[in-house]
Amino acid sequence: MVTPARVPAALDRPLLVVVGGGGVGKTTLAAALGVQSALAGKRTLVMTFDPSLRLKDALGVGEAARDRGVRVPLDAPGTLDASLLDAKATFDRLVSKYAPDPAAADRIFRNRFYRDLAGTLAGILEYMAMERLFEARAEGAHDRIILDTPPTRQALDFLQAPDRIVDFLDSRAVKMALDPIWERDPRSMSLPARLAARAGMEMADRTLGRRFLEDLVEFVRAFNPLFDGFRDRAEEVRRLLRDEGTLFLLVAGPGPDRIPDAMFFLRKLKEAGHRLGPLVVNQVHPPVENPRAGSPDLHPGLRLLAHLGSRDQEGLRQIRDLLPGPGSVLELPAQPRPPSDLPSLAALARAMLIQLDN
Amino acid sequence: MSVLDLLARRRLVVVTGKGGTGKSTLAAALGRLLAGAGRKTLVVEVDPRESLHQALGVEPSGGEVVQAGEGLWIQNVQAQAVIEGLVREKVPVPFFARKITESPAFRHFVAGAPGFKETAVLGHAYRATRGHRTPRVEVVVLDAPASGHGASLLAAPALLALAAEGGQLGEVAAELAAFLADPAQCAIFLGTLAEEMPVQETLELLETLDSAGGPRVAMVCVNALFPPLPADLLEAVRQDLWGERRRLQERERARLRDRWEGPLAELPLLPLDRGPALTRDLATRLGEARW
Repeated sequence: MVTPARVPAALDRPLLVVVGGGGVGKTTLAAALGVQSALAGKRTLVMTFDPSLRLKDALGVGEAARDRGVRVPLDAPGTLDASLLDAKATFDRLVSKYAPDPAAADRIFRNRFYRDLAGTLAGILEYMAMERLFEARAEGAHDRIILDTPPTRQALDFLQAPDRIVDFLDSRAVKMALDPIWERDPRSMSLPARLAARAGMEMADRTLGRRFLEDLVEFVRAFNPLFDGFRDRAEEVRRLLRDEGTLFLLVAGPGPDRIPDAMFFLRKLKEAGHRLGPLVVNQVHPPVENPRAGSPDLHPGLRLLAHLGSRDQEGLRQIRDLLPGPGSVLELPAQPRPPSDLPSLAALARAMLIQLDN
Repeated sequence: MSVLDLLARRRLVVVTGKGGTGKSTLAAALGRLLAGAGRKTLVVEVDPRESLHQALGVEPSGGEVVQAGEGLWIQNVQAQAVIEGLVREKVPVPFFARKITESPAFRHFVAGAPGFKETAVLGHAYRATRGHRTPRVEVVVLDAPASGHGASLLAAPALLALAAEGGQLGEVAAELAAFLADPAQCAIFLGTLAEEMPVQETLELLETLDSAGGPRVAMVCVNALFPPLPADLLEAVRQDLWGERRRLQERERARLRDRWEGPLAELPLLPLDRGPALTRDLATRLGEARW
């Protein structure tokens, strides 16, 4: 008998955000959850940053997914679309879409700051991912979106990106850039204001160079027509991330030395008002019953496996102590081979979700 | 040729690579190796979540310089603190310096100006190599952010030099960019694992850094290799975790080797937790690597 696929109530939400450090298997788990969700009859979208070739192959999606969602060939009652997040492409599209006219868009595209530095602007990459999420939600073509995120430290930046953009847009620096003192008619200012402005300008000129300021001002100005739209959407994304239909899944590596990081991140998420799902401890090595495990003449490979086994079991024990309660910690074993096709992804999701049924 | 030969006259070693591949441990081991060879070394960590101190068994730095052995120090460096320190240097009156650093315009400029924070962190490391700091060190090992952010970090001074051309900031950035691009003084180390994504990211990073025409990679270090399978091992083990892992690692290592012909060091996965014993062991092995 085949039991119909289902997603346990604890994870049955319209938006799942998968977060965690580098190399813990977030992207693979996001894809696995996507497959399971489609098998359970949902129209599902997986948004991911930088999937491996193996995973792209497993999902059967290529570079075309950079622009918009690509349908994964899956025999299921629901559907699965996969889309790859590309910050620069999203940024470009946004500029074209919201600029009041093509000339304004062109001004932005030609600005040196935009060309060379858009990618390094504080928070902009993260913010662009939020924009994509917003677009996808607005289209309304999916019952469930599973969002993969960049590694933990950047993930904090990532989640704060909407707040920071709103802050920045409201800042005096932006207002000043829109009304530079050196372009103001000096006769309209009082003498002390004029002197102060001149001293300030001279200092800025000496340290930064006039061109830097002019380029920056031009950049901010060129963006100005887009700002209102930015602010509104940033506000909505902020709300969405704290909505009760949104659940955060933290994926962590096993081993006691990973615990402080995981607990830190859980606390930060909670403080920021997000809803937390179970903690997924991934790549747990099995305990090794070897009476000679500690002996120095044991082959280094076997000694290593014994070490990894006891290390991971100890880490798991500690994390279960810290997060008691059924369904608060899910564990996944270290696999000899990473999942490389749809059935193995589905199996991975089942191995995880079955722990929520007990 | 050995790692110590390669780094003989370099003043700055930048360690980057994919997240979760043991960058901090590698940076600590390099620091230990250099200090052990008699070169006074400062290992600089940029991640605000400190972990470098664990690899060397000392207290967290919290921004201060902490001694971690004979001729070895560590320091956690945050851009904000560096920039405020610079303002205090330029504006010796504390009241005015505070007025500047606390003003919203300044804070937003620091947060928003592209490449500024990155340049400040690199600038801090640069000045340390010039003996501007106590203790006087000969070489700085920079435990840099992961690949993507590491590449932006390395590209920042050149971009800022271009953007702020004609100002003092531009001049400082240009000097720094020239220093980074000088292979006689700077070396970039890429840490990676012999797994698909880390190798992919390493190859992409090599390409990015190559095409940027800036700093060049001096060495790639493959971490956490499973030991080769002995011939007399049970078939069951050969097919299982160890055997599969090792096969996958050999394949990925070959893929890396195809594209990277420069120096490559290999470090085994050891039955030791992160800490001073592991760091010492890895430092010894790095020192013994030859090519």
